[in-house]
Amino acid sequence: MEVKVLSAKFDIEGANKLEIAKEHGAYATLDKLFAMEPAAVTEVVKASGLRGRGGAGFPTGLKWTFLPKGLDKPVYLAVNSDESEPATFKDRYILVRDPHMLIEGIIICCYAINSHDAYIYIRGEYTSQVKVLQAAIDEAYAAGYLGEKVAGHDFRIDVTVHRGAGAYICGEETALLESIEGKKGQPRSKPPFPAIEGLYGCPTIINNVQSIASLPFILANGADAYKAFGTEKSPGTHLFGISGLVQKPGMYELPLGLPVLEVIDKVAGGVREGRKLKGIIPGGSSTPVLTPEEAQDATLDYESLAAHKTMFGSGGIVVLDDTVDMVKLAENLVHFYYHESCGQCTPCREGLGWMLKILEQLIAGKGKVADIDLLLELCDNIEMKTVCVLSAACTMSLRSYLIKFRSEFEAYAAKNASAEPVM
Amino acid sequence: MADTIKLSVNGVEVEVQAGKNLVDAVAAVGIEIPHICYHPALGADGNCRMCLVEIEDGRPPLVPACKTRAVEGMKVRLDSEKIKKIQRDIMEFELINHPIDCPICDQAGECILQDYYMKYDGAQSRMRVPQVVKGKKIDFGAGVVHDQERCVLCARCVRFTRLITKTGELGIVNRTDQARVNIFPGRPLSNRYSLNVVDLCPVGAMTSSDFRFKQRAWFLTKSKGICHGCSKGCNIFIDHNREKYQDDIIYRYRPRHNEQVNGYFICDAGRMTYKQENEKRLRTPLASGQQADLESAINALKRRLDQAANPFFVVSPNCSLEQMHAIQQLAAQKKATVSGFSEGYIQEGDGDDWLIQDDKAANRAAFAVLGIDETKEVFNSALKGADLVVNFGNDLSLSGVNNTSLGTAEMAFIGSYANSCADAAAYLVPVASYSEDSGSIINVDGVLQRYETAVKKNVPFPNMLSVIRQLGGGLDDVQAARTSLGNTVEAFKKLDLQNIPAQGLALTASEVGNVTA
Amino acid sequence: MSNRAELIESGKPFAFDAERDAEFERLAKRYPNRDSLILPSLWLIQDQQGWISVESIAYVADRIGTFASQVYEVATFYTMYHLRPMGKYHICVCRTLSCYLLGKQQIVDYLQQELGIRPGQISEDGRFSLEEVECLGHCGSAPVVQINGEFHENMTVDKFKELLSTLK
Repeated sequence: MEVKVLSAKFDIEGANKLEIAKEHGAYATLDKLFAMEPAAVTEVVKASGLRGRGGAGFPTGLKWTFLPKGLDKPVYLAVNSDESEPATFKDRYILVRDPHMLIEGIIICCYAINSHDAYIYIRGEYTSQVKVLQAAIDEAYAAGYLGEKVAGHDFRIDVTVHRGAGAYICGEETALLESIEGKKGQPRSKPPFPAIEGLYGCPTIINNVQSIASLPFILANGADAYKAFGTEKSPGTHLFGISGLVQKPGMYELPLGLPVLEVIDKVAGGVREGRKLKGIIPGGSSTPVLTPEEAQDATLDYESLAAHKTMFGSGGIVVLDDTVDMVKLAENLVHFYYHESCGQCTPCREGLGWMLKILEQLIAGKGKVADIDLLLELCDNIEMKTVCVLSAACTMSLRSYLIKFRSEFEAYAAKNASAEPVM
Repeated sequence: MADTIKLSVNGVEVEVQAGKNLVDAVAAVGIEIPHICYHPALGADGNCRMCLVEIEDGRPPLVPACKTRAVEGMKVRLDSEKIKKIQRDIMEFELINHPIDCPICDQAGECILQDYYMKYDGAQSRMRVPQVVKGKKIDFGAGVVHDQERCVLCARCVRFTRLITKTGELGIVNRTDQARVNIFPGRPLSNRYSLNVVDLCPVGAMTSSDFRFKQRAWFLTKSKGICHGCSKGCNIFIDHNREKYQDDIIYRYRPRHNEQVNGYFICDAGRMTYKQENEKRLRTPLASGQQADLESAINALKRRLDQAANPFFVVSPNCSLEQMHAIQQLAAQKKATVSGFSEGYIQEGDGDDWLIQDDKAANRAAFAVLGIDETKEVFNSALKGADLVVNFGNDLSLSGVNNTSLGTAEMAFIGSYANSCADAAAYLVPVASYSEDSGSIINVDGVLQRYETAVKKNVPFPNMLSVIRQLGGGLDDVQAARTSLGNTVEAFKKLDLQNIPAQGLALTASEVGNVTA
Repeated sequence: MSNRAELIESGKPFAFDAERDAEFERLAKRYPNRDSLILPSLWLIQDQQGWISVESIAYVADRIGTFASQVYEVATFYTMYHLRPMGKYHICVCRTLSCYLLGKQQIVDYLQQELGIRPGQISEDGRFSLEEVECLGHCGSAPVVQINGEFHENMTVDKFKELLSTLK
């Protein structure tokens, strides 16, 4: 089931180094690139059907076309390498195993959108990864792939790595821009969208690492070659991170559209010996959990997972077996989103902390059944009332546990000896 | 007239000014969209989420009104169950970690949370978990005391220091429900407009150490006034109260919006000038150096003035137009020279490019309009031959004129505040100050403004006009003075001085520079 | 989220050393707006002295030409910035999702017992500080621990016992 498109060089020793990467085809697309019109590059990307691999799945080529034409302002590219959604660990492989594929993708994108300044926003926790990435960038500068004349062509590209410092919200594209601008990572209200008014008030494209890293393959082999993988509406391949209570956790490159249960069984080895599958988080912690029954006919693509009232997300699949306490898991996730709330909008700032405390109280045997309904109502009250979707990421997932595993929450409420309300 | 557009609010068509956000556009036609973080002077931030409204057929269907421009044909819904529930929910989130200490909170009575709770919420608390604990009574400097627990993180104060004063002393540190407003250690509020954050704060998080715990807001009478702290003439609220068995006392000044003069703000120094209205007031009339009752003092001064061979009138640049006019008329009658010499009121370099002016006098611009000389030369030569100096409130000590340099002339002082001129006066008539009187003044930018009596003392001081009349002047009151000004002063002939608009009247350059013959 | 608003003074003035100064100046050319130097500068401070003091924030605010309050905001918002001195070995145990499912709590329990400190504390000898952090992006090799920035994957209590003996 596994394919080697983005991960072609992942297993090659030393492929993070320019010399070895070049032996295996790095930067081979550049001659073709500079022979093309920028608009033609965008067309190829549009035709490939590549969708944003950061989680939202917005068509990459289409996003580029939102840039205003003929504006007397610089265009910026921000590469989103914040990768902070729990269960997501795919971009890290690109950064460490094949950073030159990312840099080549940046050159392709910059040329297409006429940008000369790219910022790679990398999460602060990726300490060793940032060193590998910076070394690759330094090599690319030395070799003339970056700088005043990219590969000898009259086109300047500067790439700057900007490190985050521990804030999940900076994966949200406008929070990311705020962070580059030296502020707290607090999302901006949209409109204006970044393509119109982004970094430093200028038109800005923000693309995920994997999206950008997909560009060299698409440009080298054509849109059809990319569309040969995956489904009609969800073409291409994806770096799936499979983790949790599974035999062979890890990163696997797969075409989109494979049956989720088959992937768990055949690729990741299935649940551990003697255990039963209890639930699947299909695309990162924010995506609503699926029960095994619901997952029967679910496939790993945007459309199927949306039809199952969850999301493809970032391809981070978490396998839950019958040992998992869903109440404590929900508490673990709400803790995460509470901790990462930027504190800007009232419902998220105040609401997530409230929900967390209710869950803690429930787990401590001091809750009551009414708390479950209160939590459900708070999910509704918070969701989509805020500038960004961080709180919705929390409420959508929490709601799925509350509804699909309600009896487990009720069992905790029953532990409360005094059924009286706790003041 | 500005362009107008039509939009529908709750199914009713309204015509509003174009180019505004929804909050301001519909507020102008009397429709309230509740909002906490938005403030017209600070722009839209969009953090409180209280102003979410539905846009029918809109994409997205739910928008923050503060961030949404009103456009032709827009269909806005504020009265749907969905919006009412959102407003209740936002209020619930605002209140879960808010201390229930209204009885001891300075803001009670003028608090947005109290008002909105009554209007948009009214629900019982469902909070059954411990509240977030934050800092209390933190000294932010410049007389601002902060309570982090009461704060709703609307960031108005932060935006004020970043966008308006550009001093940036305040920030919101941390994230989550641990977020809080703070100063950086060792860098407290130090701009000259700091206390505006107290007014901007919609809740009781920012308090003024000067005002805290002195009065409950609902006991205060909030009268309109004009600050006399400098020549800007900022519009203010004079908040005053007469407690049982006490006199009518001013407790604070607050800025009053006037786009033409001061926008939404005032400076701290001007704000604190309320104190001189309460303190250091002249109270004891003098006649020939002896304490006297008011009538006797005025009569004694009249007799002295009638006998004077060379009376000399000195006028304060803080006198109103009406007062100056009456003084001029009396001077003409008594053949007295009038001088407005008061260079000491000007503190060169103290002003900024915003509200604070070098000139600490409220009505100097009137000197030019009325033709009152303010040169040192005229002052000195008039003083030389004078046997009686009648000083109408001018603190000459500011201008380097001490009592010995006044020579042998006898001194009379008609004013409100104690100073060395009043100390040296043989005749002293305490009069009402501007907060107790009505009148008109012209600010540094040539804006003519009027003010009405705000404070009513138990035993009122006489106003200066009535004293002038008793000294022989011909003007009965402010109205009479305005009629006379309109008839005799070229600049005012075309203006209706009895009906100066509330936002003031911008005089043209030629009007301001006009000098009567 | 704990309250990170309380800053500490180091008691001595701060300035970048020559190496960090050069890096600061290199980065200054990369951004059209000097405020963009705030996050990198805070990293440079932490790199130089291990934590971020009142003096160092004031230094970079003035050096960049921005409000100290804004640097203060940033320093407290991003949780990887240490606002007090940490242990010689700063141990971050991932607490989220896959690491939670695969037994991060046993590791935290072991460390608490072995080091005598709770998350958020520093051992008396100053050697260790312990922190529970949110997802570190190594879910496929959970549970994961980061010590002074270095990742240790598929951690177990037994592996930690071995590891601790090497951390002097």
